[in-house]
Amino acid sequence: MEKVKTEKLSRNALSVLFSNLAKASEKQQKYELQESWSRLSENYRESTGDADFPDIREELVRSLAEDYPEIRKKAQSLSDRGVLRALVWGEKVTTIQKSLIDRYLSKGESLLEGKDIFICEACGFLYAGTETPALCPVCKAPSSRFSKIQVPAK
Amino acid sequence: MYASRNISLCTKDCLCLFVCPTGATDTENGQIDREKCIDGCRKCVDACPSHAISLVFEEYPEPIPGDADLSGMMLGLLQKKSSLEAAASALAGEKTDPGAVKLAEALRRSFRIVGEDCAREAGFLLPQCDPVRKLKEVLDLTDIGE
Ligand code: SF4
Ligand code: SF4
Repeated sequence: MEKVKTEKLSRNALSVLFSNLAKASEKQQKYELQESWSRLSENYRESTGDADFPDIREELVRSLAEDYPEIRKKAQSLSDRGVLRALVWGEKVTTIQKSLIDRYLSKGESLLEGKDIFICEACGFLYAGTETPALCPVCKAPSSRFSKIQVPAK
Repeated sequence: MYASRNISLCTKDCLCLFVCPTGATDTENGQIDREKCIDGCRKCVDACPSHAISLVFEEYPEPIPGDADLSGMMLGLLQKKSSLEAAASALAGEKTDPGAVKLAEALRRSFRIVGEDCAREAGFLLPQCDPVRKLKEVLDLTDIGE
């Protein structure tokens, strides 16, 4: 696993870091600060690459086989429970992202006909169905933490 | 520390109005009046039957820095999640089938949430912590407060 220094972060990685700080500001009820970090996060946001679902799937398979076990080994040797927790959630969510792509690749558009995708705002868990899950199976957040995916207007 | 009410949990039982020594809880807009709230009093927090009030801190302790190598690995993982997010975002723009667009958008948001968690565990937990202060200097963003 390549260790990345802060100076080497891509613009979109910074965008993600900044949107996390926006959320942390909101939790502290510092709404102006939230606004500053959100604006910055939007400025750094990138939409790039020509990957299709199979390419994304391949990267997820690679990451599950290589990244997660390697970082886990390191985190275990340091007994860093915070990182271990993030790896457990991240690994489960990545497995679900991959299986959703698998199902779409085999069933095509019929997979999502009459269905919505719900996302857990706490951990990123995805669920395709007709109703909001009662509880997030990954992080145990309540149904109020789920949002319905809205498709961006074309 | 001052009290803050989550209006969506408040069931309007009004116990907080009875216990507050300064009347800070009695406002027309549903928010507790921060000017009147006594630092650390917390009477309303304990009285509220709906757990709708909590104390908001003005200062947080500096998070304990983690191992530098492990933080570097979490930043590496953040980097990967963020390129997946950028790719899913481009894909959502290109696809025309409604299911494909919805799936790409769902993945995009999911990659971002997982990436944000990597950023937190790499040490960028709060706006007011040393790793963020250093980053702001490097990127010349010192006009953003804490
Ligand atoms: S005690 Fe709690 S539920 Fe009752 S009015 Fe106050 S905040 Fe709302
Ligand atoms: S913490 Fe005390 S002073 Fe502040 S609003 Fe609650 S009861 Fe009133």
